[in-house]
Amino acid sequence: MDNNRQGAKASYVALVFFIGLWLILPSAVRRFNREAFAEFQAPALHLVGKGRDLARYWELKSRSPEELAAASRDLARINAALELKLHSLDDARKENIRLREMLRYPQSTEFVTVVARVSIRETSSWWQRIVIRKGRSDGVRPGCPVVFGDRVIGRVSTVHLTTSEVDLVTSPGFRCTAFLEGDEQYHVVHVSGRAGLSLSAPRALVSIIPLEYNPPAGQIAKVMTTGLGGVFPSGLTLGTLEAGVQSTAEKHMQTGALTPAKELNFIQEVSVLIPKYPTAGEILLTPADKPEEFR
Amino acid sequence: MSLSWAWLFLLLATFPWLLGVDLLSDAMAASGVCLFISGAAIIAPCRRLRRWQAVLFSGCVGFLFESLRPIPDGSVALLLVFVAIYLTSHRDAIRDLPKMFAAAVVVNALACSAWFIAAGLAHTKEVPLVSLHFLGQWLLHLLLATILAVLLLVPLTLVQNFAMDRIGVPQPDEAV
Repeated sequence: MDNNRQGAKASYVALVFFIGLWLILPSAVRRFNREAFAEFQAPALHLVGKGRDLARYWELKSRSPEELAAASRDLARINAALELKLHSLDDARKENIRLREMLRYPQSTEFVTVVARVSIRETSSWWQRIVIRKGRSDGVRPGCPVVFGDRVIGRVSTVHLTTSEVDLVTSPGFRCTAFLEGDEQYHVVHVSGRAGLSLSAPRALVSIIPLEYNPPAGQIAKVMTTGLGGVFPSGLTLGTLEAGVQSTAEKHMQTGALTPAKELNFIQEVSVLIPKYPTAGEILLTPADKPEEFR
Repeated sequence: MSLSWAWLFLLLATFPWLLGVDLLSDAMAASGVCLFISGAAIIAPCRRLRRWQAVLFSGCVGFLFESLRPIPDGSVALLLVFVAIYLTSHRDAIRDLPKMFAAAVVVNALACSAWFIAAGLAHTKEVPLVSLHFLGQWLLHLLLATILAVLLLVPLTLVQNFAMDRIGVPQPDEAV
């Protein structure tokens, strides 16, 4: 028994020594450790995601042929309408390029879209995030915007080899600038996630709303991205501004709650927008010894 | 099978349970609560594994939980390692099932508090540590952690004991 207790004492001393070492270790070591454990779990997360897809596949397969025929007819109609729209947009795009060249206006960021399935959702008081089944090997980079259609879902926070973690719009780590619908002067407002919400619908906070702003009468005001930060393209919907906008304590601005554009906790698939060329922020953060692709 | 790797095989046997609880959290994502079982998962291994094996197992269980969440590195893992050292030197505290239940509840609640407070420290501007709101959230997570520890301890222990029997880990009375 004495040997056992002595061994325990030695273990406590070793633990204290290890904690000290852990605190002074370079962050790269801790990052490597985190990455290793995340990669250990990645195959299981892929399996879970694929299992869900299979369940969905069998669910769809059990639908009646009449139902599928109706869905296919509806899709054909939507396709025809979209083809017309695409044609008119192509003309507008050419016109836009010509005008930009004439004015020597800076090119807006171009994105490559990568569609990713959601593996697992993670929520608590301090974070709301999803893990998607696309990672570094698919070109996903930290900071890439994540959308569904024209609605913002969040932003990639951490990238692993075949999976990525996405901070949702309502997560405390999320920050973005936005315009409010109905604001003719296009004041820039700030959207950020909120911490400490459990057992209630997740919401984000819209701050620095000017005092003179009045939401459009009889309709819900949309909150849209500005495109100013260079991360999100402009005009994407972040959500809607809830009624009951309140003045701040200093009475010089207003704040309100944002309901996300998409039911974030039930989302199955998202699109990651990967900038074709590194953004200014990425270039600044790139170490000098990085390969030429980032220069 | 080499006993030196018993902790790793046991980790592989325990991992589906940790993943299962993550999937349960996923199903409850709309409620904004994170379910947690890592604390209770180290109780049965601490009865039978050697100390260094229990330490490695507990550390890995902690790091697995931390790796996909924005929690300060080591906050859960190092606490679980400390608990593993304590439990392997006080095996009387987890000798029978009632004691194991008590230990599972305490360890799971302790580890849950560790990650909750460690992650909450980053948001003290929005939710001050000394506030009813923080206390309410904490108690909610604590309550769920204790309920889950009570509900899952028996099946989890059965699986872990089965795995340890297959690997050839000695029974609790023979372990040092």
